[in-house]
Order: sequence, then C-alpha cells, then structure tokens
Amino acid sequence: MGFEQIIFYIFSFWFVVSSLAMIFSRNAAKAVLFLVLAFFSAASIWILLEAEFLAIILILVYVGAVMVLFLFVIKMLNIDKSTIKARFTGYLPLRLIVAIIIIAEMSLVLGSNQFGLDVFSVPARHSEGYSNITVLAMQFYTIYVYPFELAAVLLLIAIIAAITLVHRNDNTSRKKQSISEQVNVQAKDRVRLVSIILPDKKEK
Amino acid sequence: MIKNLNKLIKNLTLNELRTGLSITAKELVNKKITVQFPEERTPISSRFRGLHALRRYPNGEERCIACKLCEAVCPANAITIESEMRDDGTRRASQYDIDLFKCIFCGFCEEACPVDAIVETQIFDYVFESRQGSIMTKERLLEVGSQNEKVINQTKLEDAKYK
Amino acid sequence: MELWQTFVKMVHALVPWLDGTVAIILIIFIKAMALLIPLMLVVAYFTYAERKVIGYMQLRIGPNRVGPKGWLQPIADALKLMTKEIIFPTKANIYLFLLAPVLAIAPAIAVWAVIPFDEGIYITNLDISLLYVLAIGSIGVYGIILAGWASNSKYPLLGALRSAALLVSYEIVIGFALVTVVMIAGSVNLNTIVQAQQGGIIYWYFIPLFPIMIIFFISSLVETNRAPFDVVEGESEIVGGTHVEYSGMTFAVFFLAEYANMILMAVLSVIMFFGGWHSPFEAIPYLESVFSWIPGIIWLLVKTTFFMFLYLWIRATFPRFRYDQIMRLSWKVFLPITIIWIFVVALMTQLQLSPWF
Repeated sequence: MGFEQIIFYIFSFWFVVSSLAMIFSRNAAKAVLFLVLAFFSAASIWILLEAEFLAIILILVYVGAVMVLFLFVIKMLNIDKSTIKARFTGYLPLRLIVAIIIIAEMSLVLGSNQFGLDVFSVPARHSEGYSNITVLAMQFYTIYVYPFELAAVLLLIAIIAAITLVHRNDNTSRKKQSISEQVNVQAKDRVRLVSIILPDKKEK
Repeated sequence: MIKNLNKLIKNLTLNELRTGLSITAKELVNKKITVQFPEERTPISSRFRGLHALRRYPNGEERCIACKLCEAVCPANAITIESEMRDDGTRRASQYDIDLFKCIFCGFCEEACPVDAIVETQIFDYVFESRQGSIMTKERLLEVGSQNEKVINQTKLEDAKYK
Repeated sequence: MELWQTFVKMVHALVPWLDGTVAIILIIFIKAMALLIPLMLVVAYFTYAERKVIGYMQLRIGPNRVGPKGWLQPIADALKLMTKEIIFPTKANIYLFLLAPVLAIAPAIAVWAVIPFDEGIYITNLDISLLYVLAIGSIGVYGIILAGWASNSKYPLLGALRSAALLVSYEIVIGFALVTVVMIAGSVNLNTIVQAQQGGIIYWYFIPLFPIMIIFFISSLVETNRAPFDVVEGESEIVGGTHVEYSGMTFAVFFLAEYANMILMAVLSVIMFFGGWHSPFEAIPYLESVFSWIPGIIWLLVKTTFFMFLYLWIRATFPRFRYDQIMRLSWKVFLPITIIWIFVVALMTQLQLSPWF
C-alpha cells in the first residue's frame, strides 16, 4: 500500500465517520462541525484526484461562508430536545421508508456499476506543470461561457430578490440610524457658540 | 455641491486618518515623561498624609501623653489607646494601636494632638505581610518616627507657617 | 535552493535506514519546524514591540523591568500564562471549549505553508496558493465562533455573533480586492505574483492598485480583530468578547493565533502589493549594485516589519468603530470601490498600460 493509498483511506474513513456522526449527533452545533469535517475530508480526497481548485473552493465557500452562517443561525435557535424526540418517533415509519428509497436510488445511480473502473478509465496522472485552475478556466470561459454567465446572473437576481424582500416595508416606520449622517457630522454642526450679553452690562 | 465634493475628496484621501496618525507619530519620538517609581519619585507636598508615626522629644522621651484626644477625634475609630501611670508618675500610653484598614488618612489625629506626638509622614509605599500587619502598634509607630525623624521635622517646619 | 538540496541529501545520509515515505515526512517536519520556531519567536517579540511602540506613542516607555530594557518580558508573559490554571465554565461544552483555540491557531499556522520568502524559499509551491490562503484563513473564524458558543456565557456569544458577521462580510471585500491583483499578475500562485512584480519599484502593484491596497490593509485589520475594529473583544462593550471564559494556556493560544494572523496579513500585503522579496532599489542605476548583496528574504522581512508597525501605529491612534459602522464600511464603501476598481483594472489590461501589463 503506497503513501497515497494510506492517505486516501484515512480521509475516506474520516469522511464516512464524520458524515454518520453528523446525522446521529443530538447537538446541532456539533452536527455542523462534523459536516465541516466531512467537507474537509472530501476536499482532501479531491486534492488526491488533482482537483485542487474544486477542493479549495469547497472549503472557501462551504466551510468558510455557508457553514459559518449555519452556526450563526444555530446559535440563535433555542432547540428543545424533548419535542424533537417526540416528533422523531411519531413519523419514524414514514421516514424509514423515505430513507430506504433514497439510499436505494443513490446506490443505483452512484454505485460502482455507474462510476466504477470498468466504466471509466483510471484518471491519468498529469505532469508536474499541470494546472487544474488553468484547465477549468479554459472550459468556463470558452465552451461553457454562456451557462457560466447565466448562473452568475441568476445568483445576482437571487441576491437582489433577497434584499428587496427584507426591505419591503416602508422605511419610515422602522427605527434606524443614518450612519452617513453621523459620519459626516462636523464639530460646528454640534456646538453652537452664542455670545451672551450679561444683564448688568446691558444696563450700563 | 462644491462643499460636498470637498468632503468626498477629504474622505477618500483619508484626510482625518492621516492627521491622527501624524499626531501619534510625533509623540513616538517625543521625550517620555514616565517617572521610574522606585528609583525616581515625584515631589510630595509637605502636607501629604501618609503612614503614621509617633515622635519623641530630642532627649529620647516619647511625646505621647495618652490624652486620647486623637482617639476621640478619629472619624473612623481607627485608634485605640490604653493609658497607665509610669513609675515616675507621668501618664503614658501602654497601648497605642492604629488600624490602617480603618484609617482614612484625614489627619485629624495630627491636628488634635497637643504635644505633636502623632504625625502623618510622607511614606505611602508600605506593605503588610500578614493579617495583623495592618495594626500599627506603639512600638512600630515609634520606630517609624525615629527612623524618619529628620524628614518629619523638616516637613512639619515647612508646613508650620501655613497653619 | 542548492542549500536545500544539500540539506535533503544530508537528511538521507544521516538516516540511511529510512525509506522514502518516512524520509519525506521527516523532511516536511523539519521544514515546518524551521518556519514555526522563528514564527513563534516573532509573535512573542511582536507583543513586546506592541507594548513598547504603543507606550512610546502615549509618552510612556513600556515594559522595561524584566531583563535588560525589558527584553525578557514576552518570555515572562509566556511562563505566566503556561503556569496559570485553565478554568472550565461549569456548563460549558468541554470538548468544543478546548477545540476552539486549536481551530484558531491551526489555520493561522497552516497558511504559512504557501508563503514564499525568497526566490525558491517556501514550504510548498502550491499552484493555487492565493485561494489556499483565503480558504484556510476563512477557517480561523471557527475558533472564535466555537469559543463563543462553547463557553455558554453571554458576552462570548455576543462576541462570536459579531465576529461571524464581520468576517464573512470582510472576506468578500478581501476576495474582491485580491481579484484585482490576480487580474494583473495573471496567476493565483503567490510565487508568480511576486515574480510578476520584478523590475523595480514602479512595477510593484501598489501603484496601479493604490485604493485596493488601502482597502486590503483596512480589511486585514478587521480580519485579525485588531483595533480600531476589535469589536469581537470590545473590552468596553462586551467585557472581553470570546476570550472572557478562557484563561492560562487556552487564552495564550488565542493570543498566538491573533498575532500570527497579523504577521501573516502583513506578509500578504507585501507579497500582493509591495513586490515580495524584490529589492526596492532594483533598476536604479547606482543603488542597485550597492544593495545587491542583501538577500531577498531580508527585504521581505523589512517590508513586513513596516506593515506590522503600521498595525501598532493604527492601534495607538484610532478609537474603536461602532459595530454597525464597520458593516456599513464593508458593504457600502469598500465593496463598491473594489468592484469599480476591478473595471478600472480590466480597462488597464485592455489598454496594455505599461509597465504593469
């Protein structure tokens, strides 16, 4: 067993273990952390496949941003464990059926008969100068430039839609501070110097 | 319009940030004013009220006559005095304790004393090493007095003309 | 590089019974130590420098009692923190509580693997090292968030919430700022980015990317939770933020991570905008030959030291920002400027503006 294979099995082991731990963990924050570990293991396996750009993007986007927001939300939640347990047993038969169907479908679609070595050839080792990012960029900005740009526009629309949904209410009813006004304030806006004529001086 | 443009240019060139940075940069090279405490000391007023001391007359006789005026005037009840008659028939304190945890360093005891026995020195950097250490007994007070006699005499002399 | 080859040969000669894999791991370990030990020393003395510089700016003289001129102060601090008791809050989640400082320091150190110190002096020459820096750097948030969550205490939680929102928004700004660098250099490899700035001070990217350089620097202050953006700690508002429940070595680890990150950001600023290991006297007729004997790593360190000093200078100068103003700065000021500058850089590229393209 070579060095690479050892690394592959270590990361695969952690991938499986952390995925299972994520599902079975009672604590939502721990589940998110196990999911992060699963992402890491997946990224490491991708690096072994010489897909280092994908691996880094997985960490950058999912671990660095999406999971942080997940944790952010989970911290705000006040999860009552007893209600979750009650619901869990109530719907158990239905859930089991759905789970079994999903597992069966996934093993049919993603099994070794679809993606095995007899279907695909062993990915060739590239020479030292091979750059995954250059190859990807060539694909993105030549053949797939329209789908790529369309996906970008779609995301932009999603961002604008989300922001408009939040800002749907009129601004007059909301209490908020105008930061630009606060930042632009000058000393002379705040302090007014008034010359006071003292009453006894006036009489003289 | 021009005013707003000016403000925008000032903001974008980080005008105020640069002003702030230049001030701290100037102070970086300025002369430092730190006083290195145990080696250097700041001047202390002759009226400074620090650790207490009991004084003696030049012939070595202790001044305190146990009149208990200081005990009476003490607003914090920090002073405890017991008196006795000595063999030569004079009235002296057999016990003179000041609890420094109670003491508020108001200096009333010094004002009340008819024989200038109890005084407050300029010593402010003292420590207690035990729980009982905060109670200054007569012996310790007299020791502080005899150790700092010269300084006490001088500061009291300096302050005397303003009293 | 020849030095390194001889070193590798030496390791193989010294331990001949080791086969390939073990020797590789040993060499990686030695490489990591060669980086880690100086880094930790620099971190220790950076805290000393911080106290001295800020002291001088406030007309004080800073620590000067431990050792000659206070030079042993960081070591005394380290000893103090090591011998202090680690207190666990009663209802805290102990595993996550202890995992948090580890998650804070591990990325702060791991990022250094791709930093090029000189022509050919690096731990690994990753093809996507810039993305690696961003990705691993974004993991550092977990340390702070977990610290806040696992402490089971209100102030750490508030600090963690602040840091999560801050870091996510400023990572976007930093990402966009670095896009402009990548556009000019045409590579996400840090080595290539530095090599592209060869040929004298006018080739350095801080000239075409001047506003981006300032935005990157200010954003790096936020990323490292430094004053004036240290709302995550915010002593006057939320006591000590995420660090409230940490004591002894667990706190020291957070401290190390913060300073290691700060030095990293300084090095990154130099690599991105100030020509990395290149001498500022390149292509200047007389001075070039005078200063040619100085190795590149010294230039890198000198430039990095300047940026580290800038961190301290800014901390000594500016009062803390209010939290919502930091958010506004990110989304309404920095992000538009960086996006506009991406267009400007695209224009520059099309116009073949010399000497950078």
